[in-house]
Amino acid sequence: MSKKITLEQKVLSRNDILAAELRKLFNEEQVAVMNMVSSPGSGKTSLLEKTLGSLSQNLSIGVIEGDIQTDNDAVRIAKTGVPVYQIQTGGACHLEAEMIRRALVNFDLKSTDLLIIENVGNLVCPSAFDLGEGLRVAVISTTEGDDKPLKYPAMFRSADVMVINKMDLLPYTDFDVQKVTRNAMSLNPEIQILKTSCRTGEGLNEWANFVKNFAHLIVSGV
Amino acid sequence: MHELSIAIEILDIVEREAAKHGAAVVRRVNLRVGDLSGVETESLAFSFDAVKGEKDLTRDTILSIERLPVKIRCTPCDEVFHGAGHMVVCPQCEGFDTQLLQGEELEIEDIIID
Ligand SMILES: Nc1nc2c(ncn2[C@@H]2O[C@H](COP(=O)(O)OP(=O)(O)OP(=O)(O)O)[C@@H](O)[C@H]2O)c(=O)[nH]1
Ligand SMILES: [Mg+2]
Ligand SMILES: [Zn+2]
Repeated sequence: MSKKITLEQKVLSRNDILAAELRKLFNEEQVAVMNMVSSPGSGKTSLLEKTLGSLSQNLSIGVIEGDIQTDNDAVRIAKTGVPVYQIQTGGACHLEAEMIRRALVNFDLKSTDLLIIENVGNLVCPSAFDLGEGLRVAVISTTEGDDKPLKYPAMFRSADVMVINKMDLLPYTDFDVQKVTRNAMSLNPEIQILKTSCRTGEGLNEWANFVKNFAHLIVSGV
Repeated sequence: MHELSIAIEILDIVEREAAKHGAAVVRRVNLRVGDLSGVETESLAFSFDAVKGEKDLTRDTILSIERLPVKIRCTPCDEVFHGAGHMVVCPQCEGFDTQLLQGEELEIEDIIID
């Protein structure tokens, strides 16, 4: 006689289990962790280059760079004087919690306020891999088309904030800021929107303040 | 994306439960997967078949996957809708004041054992 056993049990992937452990560790050590995702070249590294100087006046920061190949981005970040560690995935198109766990030996979490992770440029796979972060930032640039949230919904659904970068190029494109905002909000009504240009400096103060507020919220334990 | 690791986790849970109930064979695993879970049905079925192995307990186990469509409730309209393409905006009033009722599930509902 067959028997039915009711379980109603949630199934977690290995990455989710590990990410939950990391999140617990980050909470205990009071480290604010931010995961930056975007398609290749939207301006993740540029946004950091432009604002790490002012951010590191009040915060002790560490940066983890994720790329398939090269340490170009880590070299760029190192020039700002902020400690940086480069993960080369050697083929993987996204970072995983296990890679972050291994990278942590390069940082002193006790004295770190803010850990910034720049993910591999890719609008698909990084969305499925929780890294234990407290804030997920999706960067989109004005040359990519305002339909991208709808085409890559998982990414914009999982992000807390969408930064629209390369605002200086807006006049040369058919990118509609209102449309992209509406598209992102139709997936994720809570998503916050920032507009920046790493060329003209537009919105960079707002971006820096946003990051600062996030870090202070975690570090002061509010 | 995670389908292989999810298949391994399902098998783990199933083997533990089977042992607890002294099962000789697991006939079926009933899984519920929401359309927003990011889990692909075919890839998960394929992965499960690859990992269930040759053990008597699970060799013939059928993984039955029930897909759950997105369900949202619009607060002002007080109606329930199916979202399209991961959207949680209300199709009637186009408002964002909605609540996700269903779509993110990834759970084992029950298992059938002998
Ligand atoms: N015009 C303009 N160019 C920008 C802006 N931000 C970045 N760029 C340029 O865009 C290119 C890519 O910028 P990165 O900062 O390397 O982009 P990324 O997202 O870090 O790229 P990956 O790490 O390779 O995914 C560079 O040539 C930048 O100079 C901007 O606001 N306006
Ligand atoms: Mg970069
Ligand atoms: Zn409505």
